[in-house]
Amino acid sequence: MDHNQKIEEALTIIWEEREKKIADKGAIAKRFLESINEDVSQNLLSEGFVLIEKDIIKFSDKGESKARDIIRRQRLAERLLMDVLEVGRKEVDSSACALEHILSKEVEESICSLLGHPKECPHGLSIPSGACCEKAKGLIESIVIPLTRLKVSETGKIVYVLTREHPQLHRLMSFGIVPGARIKLHQTRPSVIIQVEETQVALEEEIAKEIYVKRLS
Amino acid sequence: MNIVLVGNANVGKSVIFNALTKSYVTVSNYPGTTVDVSKGIAKLGPQNFTVYDTPGVNSLIVHSEDEKVTRDILSTSDIACVVQVADSKNLKRSLVLTLELIEFGLPLVLNLNMSDEAKERGISIDIKKLSEKLGIDIIETVAVTGEGVSKLKEAILKVKTAHPVNATLSPALDRIVSLKKKNKIIEELVKDVLRISKPKAKSASEFIGSLTVSPVTGIPILIAVLFVMYLFVGRLAAVWGVDFFENTIFGAYVNPFLDSFIDKFIPIPIIKEFLMGEYGIVSMAVTYAFAIIFPIVTAFFLFFGILEDSGYLPRLSVLSDRVFRVIGLNGRAILPMVLGLGCGTMATLTSRILETKKERILVSIILTLAIPCSAQLGVIMAMLSNFSLKAFLLWFSIILFVIVVIGFLASKLVPGKRSPFIQELPPMRFPQITNIIVKTGARLKWYLKEAVPLFILGTFILFMFDKIGLLRWIERILSPFIVTWLHLPKETTAAFIVGFLRRDYGAAGLYALARAGALDKIQIFVSLIVITLFVPCIAQFLVTVKERGAKVALMISGFVFLFAFLFGGLLDHLLRYLILTKGFAVL
Repeated sequence: MDHNQKIEEALTIIWEEREKKIADKGAIAKRFLESINEDVSQNLLSEGFVLIEKDIIKFSDKGESKARDIIRRQRLAERLLMDVLEVGRKEVDSSACALEHILSKEVEESICSLLGHPKECPHGLSIPSGACCEKAKGLIESIVIPLTRLKVSETGKIVYVLTREHPQLHRLMSFGIVPGARIKLHQTRPSVIIQVEETQVALEEEIAKEIYVKRLS
Repeated sequence: MNIVLVGNANVGKSVIFNALTKSYVTVSNYPGTTVDVSKGIAKLGPQNFTVYDTPGVNSLIVHSEDEKVTRDILSTSDIACVVQVADSKNLKRSLVLTLELIEFGLPLVLNLNMSDEAKERGISIDIKKLSEKLGIDIIETVAVTGEGVSKLKEAILKVKTAHPVNATLSPALDRIVSLKKKNKIIEELVKDVLRISKPKAKSASEFIGSLTVSPVTGIPILIAVLFVMYLFVGRLAAVWGVDFFENTIFGAYVNPFLDSFIDKFIPIPIIKEFLMGEYGIVSMAVTYAFAIIFPIVTAFFLFFGILEDSGYLPRLSVLSDRVFRVIGLNGRAILPMVLGLGCGTMATLTSRILETKKERILVSIILTLAIPCSAQLGVIMAMLSNFSLKAFLLWFSIILFVIVVIGFLASKLVPGKRSPFIQELPPMRFPQITNIIVKTGARLKWYLKEAVPLFILGTFILFMFDKIGLLRWIERILSPFIVTWLHLPKETTAAFIVGFLRRDYGAAGLYALARAGALDKIQIFVSLIVITLFVPCIAQFLVTVKERGAKVALMISGFVFLFAFLFGGLLDHLLRYLILTKGFAVL
């Protein structure tokens, strides 16, 4: 691990500890030793990322914004791996850590838009919002939305299908419900009815919510 | 040599099967009509082929029973030709299966069926180009009218085996990955083949279809359908039809003729009694089967056939999904339940379309307990026709109540889980009169073949029991249950005994007693509820054993037997209290 990565990892740790309401210098130094084998508190201080007052360690403005970026990328990466690529939970944790260091700003924004500007990572922790999220707020709704958020008789293009179980995904796919297909919403109650090409399919809401589409019309 | 028909659900494999073999298997407009493989003989040119009709599949990758059945047939040797029947409207979806069949290295003909419906929707397919790309013959048909069938026969005789389109596609690949890859290949295949001229106006059938599934219009439509069925089966057939057959045909002609015939030629009292007595083969079994039940099931099968072919039945699953969730099922369960109104035996087979074991057990319980088959339902409607419509609605509500309560409790007891609701809705179609008539005829033939022997057997047993005095003995033994607990006359014992063979026979026995004035209104009503809930007929029991295992089938039947009597007795006491003590005009 090079110096830069160590600094980034350290900033992540401080952020995560802060979410648990821990800012004690000693406790954080212990966490540093566990994950990066080095107490980098002094380096952080000298590079101007943190302020240390008595036993309390705090982000400087510079540190705050850098940490926010890293956390955001890491948690977006987790969502991407989990939702779109269906990687298992264990692998998510290890791969997301590596991914966060190599994602560029542009890629980060397009992932965020693709996922519909998610608010939480798979562990339920909040994802700091980025510039793209602020912009999307003005557009009222994000580009990728669950099928159920389409209005009746609107058409959407399927971006991805989230589902926990293979047989279900397979069944949807065999009806032609695959990424790229155009899908029209016919009704939402008492069951969701959609049309893909010339096939009409009735689904329960829980399944329809897992189909993410881009609005077309 | 064998010909195997495969394809997605509800594309018309059975229609093609009937056209190739000149035999008949049931054809309807909903996915899952065929749950078992049918076999027939086709004579093409000089050669005889065995033709297999298979349940609809979306893929050859096995994850359901249907797919296993189909794959097993394709894995046997001696296949002269595989005919993939496909819906022309859904070319892309069909090609998923085509690619898999090509990968399998089987001699293949692609049959684009329902090409008329595709044309109506502005879909045109360049058959020649697609055929070149795939390396197999492609034949367009409109199977219900026979259009293109002779061309299909020719193509079968000179079938080709295509080379896999993409050598890297192996079935061993992860199914999701391969599906994604396939979709790409399919896009490539249809690129300059498939042309859709848009936009098209909403057709009338689409409009009607959308009315049937929206809650505002769908529920009134459902009530209207049920009411028309009540008028047609319960009033027209059960009152007018039965009266005509029983009093005119049998009462005025058949029975007097046989009476005098036997008197003249076989003047032996025991034989006369065996044929024409209280438990006589002609006076009881044949009269019940032909005079009482035959007109009713004919009307029911006609009406039901129209419903099946219109595409209405799967739409019911949309309306009922939320109700079924309460009892641990999803909307798809409506199909076996509604089919159970036709025949519980067939319906038990159809429960295969449900995904989890729990769902199948729950449906088997409800089918055994509370869904009356057509013959029984008709007799029940006929008996209730002397009451007001209110009595019919009360019977309906009580049965519905039993389904929901027992379903709810069973869903808590039976381990396993419910699968999510995903149901394809076929287009609404105007039913074809010829198919309705042929289908009704086939079902009537089947009914006669299955019911009449059992009716005769049941009558024979009653006759023997009566002669050796066993019947009186059974009546005495069961008297605490039948007479004291249910407040029914001891003569109904015979109806319940034959009810073990077929529920409709039991119901017909009650009907005859009611018409003879042996039962009062409360007795009629209570006995109807008991016979509705009573044990399944022998055939349904055997199919339940085959599908669910002997242990489950016995447990279900034992529970149903006890529950029917217990519930009937409680209902009897409640009705007596309300009507006789409180003076409520419940019936």
